[in-house]
Amino acid sequence: MPPLEKYVLIVTEKPEAARRIAQALDKEGKPEKVEENGVPYFRAVRDRNLVVVPALGHLYTVVHERGRRSYYPVFNFKWAPRHLAERGAKNIQTWIEVITKLADGADEFIAACDYDLEGSLIGYCILKYACKNKENDAKRMKFSTLTKSELEKAYEELLPNLDFGLIEAGKTRHEVDWLYGINLSRALTLAAKRWSGRYTTLSTGRVQGPTLRFLVEREKDIQCFVPTPFWNIKAEAEVKRSVYEAEYEKAKIEMQAEADTIVRACSGKSGKIKRVEVKKFRQMPPVPFDVGSLQAEAYRLFGYTPRGTLNIAERLYLEALISYPRTSSQKLPPVIDYRVIITSLSRNRKFRKSALTLLKKTELKPNEGKKSDPAHPAVYPTGNLPERPLSDPEKKIFNLVVWRFMAVFGEPAVKQSVKLTVDVNAHMFYLRGKQILKTGWMSLYEPYVKTEEVILPPIKEGETVRLRKVIREDKFINPPSRYNPSSLLKKMEEEGIGTKATRADIVETLYNRNYILEKRIFVTGLGFDVTEVLNEYCPSVISVELTRELERKMEQIQNHEENRENVLMTAVDQLKPLLTEFKTQETAIGEALSNAIKKARLEERTIGKCPHCGTGKLMILYSRKTGKRFIGCTNYFKKLCETSFPLPQRGTVKPERKDCHSCGWPLLLVRMKGRRPWRLCFNPDCPLKKERKAAS
Amino acid sequence: MKCKVCDKEAVDDYCEAHERAYKNLVEKYDVWKRALGVSWKEYLREVAKNEYTGSWVKEVAEKLAETREG
Repeated sequence: MPPLEKYVLIVTEKPEAARRIAQALDKEGKPEKVEENGVPYFRAVRDRNLVVVPALGHLYTVVHERGRRSYYPVFNFKWAPRHLAERGAKNIQTWIEVITKLADGADEFIAACDYDLEGSLIGYCILKYACKNKENDAKRMKFSTLTKSELEKAYEELLPNLDFGLIEAGKTRHEVDWLYGINLSRALTLAAKRWSGRYTTLSTGRVQGPTLRFLVEREKDIQCFVPTPFWNIKAEAEVKRSVYEAEYEKAKIEMQAEADTIVRACSGKSGKIKRVEVKKFRQMPPVPFDVGSLQAEAYRLFGYTPRGTLNIAERLYLEALISYPRTSSQKLPPVIDYRVIITSLSRNRKFRKSALTLLKKTELKPNEGKKSDPAHPAVYPTGNLPERPLSDPEKKIFNLVVWRFMAVFGEPAVKQSVKLTVDVNAHMFYLRGKQILKTGWMSLYEPYVKTEEVILPPIKEGETVRLRKVIREDKFINPPSRYNPSSLLKKMEEEGIGTKATRADIVETLYNRNYILEKRIFVTGLGFDVTEVLNEYCPSVISVELTRELERKMEQIQNHEENRENVLMTAVDQLKPLLTEFKTQETAIGEALSNAIKKARLEERTIGKCPHCGTGKLMILYSRKTGKRFIGCTNYFKKLCETSFPLPQRGTVKPERKDCHSCGWPLLLVRMKGRRPWRLCFNPDCPLKKERKAAS
Repeated sequence: MKCKVCDKEAVDDYCEAHERAYKNLVEKYDVWKRALGVSWKEYLREVAKNEYTGSWVKEVAEKLAETREG
């Protein structure tokens, strides 16, 4: 390959972004792809020669400057290539070598990573370390979509410098998180290991600790909840030969006797319409998606976890189908050119009707939300259509972003509610009707809106209504609802902890550490005990105030109102006494944590009550003779029960914490390589099994 | 001293978790009595089998139902 004369080196965050940028900037749209030791980069020609090289996300990270792994506190750190700190990151070394080699032949440098905290830091580290101190000479491309037009514009209108405010804030965040994470996680892990002699990774952190605490508090409220009874009364009301549901004036009746008296007094009786209230109201269109609302909507509609939604959205962004998803903005500036995007979307048959409806409008004005982001607009479709068949989840997220984008330009919906008050023996019943008079934006967001209408017949005050049936409904006040990954993210956002980029990962870590389980989040014994230990010995670690204060300071760094050294010193000053205290209590903490780990391991293998003896517990056990696993009752060791069931020997088997809907026995979840996980009912006499056998 | 329900350290009769559950249980009895006219024993039985009852409360209610306090 002929050597290139001096060129501009453009650094991007990911390979797909590099390809897009090279393609957009090459004057013929056909950049040359080169691969060196498995590292792809692109040669393009524009006003001069360009080389576009990708990173693989972060190539550098914070590491302990020197010393062993088995002690704390550690406050000396440095930035180093990731392969020196992480197992399984060997390819990073080659990657950096290739970038360094390419930097030697360049005379101009451009950072073209995502324009946010992480992206700016990725670009900065590469320019500083891999390109040998080019961070002060480099220019910055700023864009929110990977479309040709926007990339060309970003290249023509380069920012003269890197965004050092963002970089400083990003660096500080990584360093503060490292200081908290490494010290506290080591303290927990070492305390447990010194007591029990066994190693188990335990972790906590500046955001992880308070997040787990929210969950523990909610779990305590649920476990201590006593439901209280109440009653409500429903009736079937006959109006002009049609039957409608009516509800009693008091939504909650606190005494059963009172409820019974009302039922007796009103059953089969007729009443007069005392009042007819008609209300018309406008419902404004939804606001554009910021990352949090996109994640919440995807969870509501499809059950996708926030992390999953973000991964999909990032793929769609890299394919230039949607704008940058990690945004806090709910605003769509006119500069993105709404009309061009909608015209472009109308090429797709699915979106055509809605797009054409919008294009008929003389003015397109989005219904914007309050939140804004200095770096990016809200999430919107670029107008490009997929070049390859999208997977089902990708299709769902892409369509959701498109429909939402169109809906925000819709007219307000007009709805009407009707409330009839019926007087039956001085007891008031309400009949409610609801009707959509004008669908407005709802027709543009149709797949995702529920339109349940109840249309009451025209009726006047004084007319008669008969209550055909009056029913008492026995109810209980429900416990507080469990968080799910989406509502937890919302809570973190409300409390001002973590960032839009890190929150989903923190929730994921809580799952990986076995602190929490399931989509409707349950806190495990281990999660409880770790929080209890931290609460007892270093409560500030799980305090929301501490982490919120640090978040505020980091935002100030971004705006040049605070500096990195001050924030780091504050973090170290907070950690030092805390870790000293922790060390003095290490034995007690180690004992508490070791017991918690032991209990958690036992819990993981406990299936539920033994259906035969009723007092023992069924557990997954291993035979001493054969090493095979099976289900046995804990009463076996007391010679009280000999219940046992066979188990599959391959793959992993875990209690599912759900009962078989056919026989009520606890279910197990079996996972095997290359197969979809399945639920196993181990009851040999389960009617479902018999049914299936008979059917086959 | 050990908690009457679990093996954890207890301040009085119960550990911290079960103590909170016990207090809630006692506090809500008045509401149940007014609503249904149930006795303490009936109340414990009803609460223990209710699907919305928290597991710590269930454990305390079951324990109390077994003993004379129930």
